[in-house]
Amino acid sequence: MAKSTRPMVRIHNSETDEIIDREMNDSEFAQYQANKVEQENKQAEADAKEAAKLAILDRIGLTADELKTILG
Amino acid sequence: MATTTNYSWTTPDDTALVKDGASAIRSLGTSIDTTTKNLNPSTTLGDIEYRSSTANTNTRLGIGTTGQVLSVSGGVPAWATPTSGSMTLLSTTALSGTTVTISSINQTYNSLMIFLLNPTWGTGTAQLWLRAQSSSDIEGSGGAMWNSGASTATASISGTNINVTATGNSNSAGKACALWTINNYASTTAFKPFSISSGDDTKGSFQGGVIATNTAISSIELANQFGYTFNGGSIVIYGVK
Repeated sequence: MAKSTRPMVRIHNSETDEIIDREMNDSEFAQYQANKVEQENKQAEADAKEAAKLAILDRIGLTADELKTILG
Repeated sequence: MATTTNYSWTTPDDTALVKDGASAIRSLGTSIDTTTKNLNPSTTLGDIEYRSSTANTNTRLGIGTTGQVLSVSGGVPAWATPTSGSMTLLSTTALSGTTVTISSINQTYNSLMIFLLNPTWGTGTAQLWLRAQSSSDIEGSGGAMWNSGASTATASISGTNINVTATGNSNSAGKACALWTINNYASTTAFKPFSISSGDDTKGSFQGGVIATNTAISSIELANQFGYTFNGGSIVIYGVK
């Protein structure tokens, strides 16, 4: 049996109780890849922002918890 | 000829010479008998009567069945089975693959209650997304995700996704859960208001809004932020009357 190359999706027909597990079709796979790239970029952006915040805190000698206490 | 006040039974005048007394009494008795039967047409245990459209003539209503209540149908009394609320299990779906779609959702209920229970996946941390009916537009407000009384992140409703775990749920925690209620989901003429409470072992949130489509919702979908493959958990759907 050929190895699966695309992610699987599950479709459950609640009327017949039939469950279909199949590979993504072309449009689903294209959407999946686009979404993955978008989300990974967003995550990288958020991580970079967080790292920059921590770097600033480090420069002024505060921890994130100490900053929360000051702002709280 | 004199008549009685209420039912106009015929009686001899005060000055009449009653030639045939037995016949007169029989005639009056027959009138009384007919009127009485018209007013009391019951024949069977449990019968009740109500006034018909004809004066002095009632209609018999036989007893209903156990559990029925007296109602009105067509302007007259009738026994009817009371309608009552109920919640029916429509489907239970084990999570598998990168997306899970539940299709052909029964359209005969007023609302759907959708439980997302303990999803797990193989890799990493990711947000969990719920979607409706071919990615219908969802307009709503994401509530803050609360952690020990402090807002730590913002849950989101964006485009077609309802994010139920704002900052991502660990792949193996299996502690995320959500209750998504969609009202009027089978309507083909109106948007569908919804609410969703969700969270995991560190945060919780309440969100709400509308699914901005006039198309009936016959399918819903679960996905996660990075397309990880689900390997545990379930979606349970109830129809609510």
